[in-house]
Amino acid sequence: MYVAGIDMGAKFVKVVILDDGEIKGKGMAPTGFDLDEAANSAFNSALENAGIQKDDLKHITSTGAGKKEVDFRNTEVTEVGAAAKGAISLFPGSRTIIEVGAEEGRALRSDENGRVLDFVINEKCAAGAGAFTEAMARALEIPVTEMGALSLKSAKETPMNAQCAVFAESEVVSLVHSKTSKEDIARAIHDAIASRISSMVRRLSIEKDVTLIGGLAKNIGFVESLKRDLNMDINVPDDPDFVGALGAALVARKKAKEG
Amino acid sequence: MIEMFKEWYDARHEYAKEWKEKTGGKVLGYFCTYVPEEILLAADVLPVRILGSHEPQDVTEPHIFGMFCPFCRDCLAQGLKGRYDYLDGIMIAQSCLHIRQAYTSWEMHIPVPFSYYLPMPNHVQSPRALPYLKAELETFKKAVEEWTGKTITDEDLDRGIEIMNRNRRLLRDAYDTRKAADPPMSGLEAMYMAVSSQMIDKTEHSDVVEESLKELQTRKLETPTGERLIIIGSEDDDTTFIDMVENCGSTIVVDDHCTGSRYFWNQVESNGEDRLQAIAQRYIDRPRCPTKDWEERSRIPHIMNLAKDWNVSGAILLQQKFCDPHELDIPIIRKTLEESGIPTLFLELDVTVPVGQFQTRVEAFLEMLMEEDLF
Repeated sequence: MYVAGIDMGAKFVKVVILDDGEIKGKGMAPTGFDLDEAANSAFNSALENAGIQKDDLKHITSTGAGKKEVDFRNTEVTEVGAAAKGAISLFPGSRTIIEVGAEEGRALRSDENGRVLDFVINEKCAAGAGAFTEAMARALEIPVTEMGALSLKSAKETPMNAQCAVFAESEVVSLVHSKTSKEDIARAIHDAIASRISSMVRRLSIEKDVTLIGGLAKNIGFVESLKRDLNMDINVPDDPDFVGALGAALVARKKAKEG
Repeated sequence: MIEMFKEWYDARHEYAKEWKEKTGGKVLGYFCTYVPEEILLAADVLPVRILGSHEPQDVTEPHIFGMFCPFCRDCLAQGLKGRYDYLDGIMIAQSCLHIRQAYTSWEMHIPVPFSYYLPMPNHVQSPRALPYLKAELETFKKAVEEWTGKTITDEDLDRGIEIMNRNRRLLRDAYDTRKAADPPMSGLEAMYMAVSSQMIDKTEHSDVVEESLKELQTRKLETPTGERLIIIGSEDDDTTFIDMVENCGSTIVVDDHCTGSRYFWNQVESNGEDRLQAIAQRYIDRPRCPTKDWEERSRIPHIMNLAKDWNVSGAILLQQKFCDPHELDIPIIRKTLEESGIPTLFLELDVTVPVGQFQTRVEAFLEMLMEEDLF
């Protein structure tokens, strides 16, 4: 039985197709301005990847900031709910789940069934989220994909205040002027985001295991900074950006079973 | 009938201007619900609460520090923009420094013939608070007499007390209807009903509440009740927010706000002898604002009773950004509610409500309350 989950994120649309709990296909497309086109494009590439037709799907569940914009959805689930289901299916021991996407950082506590017990979401500023690293990479004139590896070369702590994405950029400029190396600045940026995320997670009281998902989990520099800040090991799945879509697909599977 | 409250709320300024024209009476704007309206009504003054408009504004920066709460700045902005140009007087009863700043700035920059600072005691739990407040009320009564040129008799005070008490009784009755498994009114409608009582001639308002109560007996809402919620915080007339919360599959059945239940909860118990003492006692005893709830935290059992009697499954704590007194109470309120199995959602309000961001949180919170096992 095929089902699909579609995660309409702020920057990317992600789709996961499941066949009896097995991942059969994935698809991704930039969100852009035309949400319909983005949803269809990610969805079609997932169908192609799975080698099935749309009619083969029994149920489609949407999640993410644009979850209500998916015309072909059967049901929807909140980002927090999808994150819990997805993370628990990959790491059943997860009790604290941290998700950092393009525009939002979230943390939640879950029981062993993926039921959300409590959650927090970052406030107005995107300084604790992925869009912030993109802005900082631009300031350093390096591709955002290289930020992680670059920061791992640094062994030095440089204090930086990431309360606001705009002010932080001017801090980066000051660091550049004071001849701080790019490695050290890259690490300072990841440390600052990690510190902001950790302080949000601490509001929940952290229970092990901790699992990190969302696009920013692909940045190895940020993952290191977060581990250091929380002073514990963190689970990171292979495709951390698809976990929300996976969670939505698992919800779709349950709904399909219920008929 | 129940639609009337929203109409009044939306046209509060037009209403006050028409009232003045019709009656030739004086209108006084007040900043805090510790203001004893009984005495104003005894002098035939129309008291209206000064509230914000929930629009971004850029006029208060020279007058109020940026880290004061958005509500006090929003209130002052209304004055600076001339929206309350019909006021004959303003007053405040001491509650917090932020709203007092709005009052003193108003007094300085938007002069009106009468302005009054009532030093309402903060330590209401002290036995000295009652004689202190009673003495302050005597001074205040004299000031009102001087301003209006009218002597306030005992009969006038009795009338003022009865007008206020009737409105309070009726609003309590209206809130009681929301204890039903299917409340006959939404939280948004209840908010319009309660907050409009702070803007409209009380007798006129009471008459409409009385009529509405008849209507409520057979009324059924079109949408299912969903999760039953309590909202807790300082002032709250964020109708956009309430509407969003209720559209996500819930009904707000009760509140602890000074624009809601705290305003009308208890009556003046007058024995026809010392009227000012009876009025003072009422303000000492009312469900407290956190500026006055010390050292015993009497708010906590009160909130727990509301949660129990109105059978809520969750609580939303709405905090005005930078409101220290309320911030102090939030940890203990959350802890007590959660220990009783009532999950809480904490949200911080600015002048405008970021509906999109809040909606994500509210939806996730409601999903959590529904405890749907998704595997």
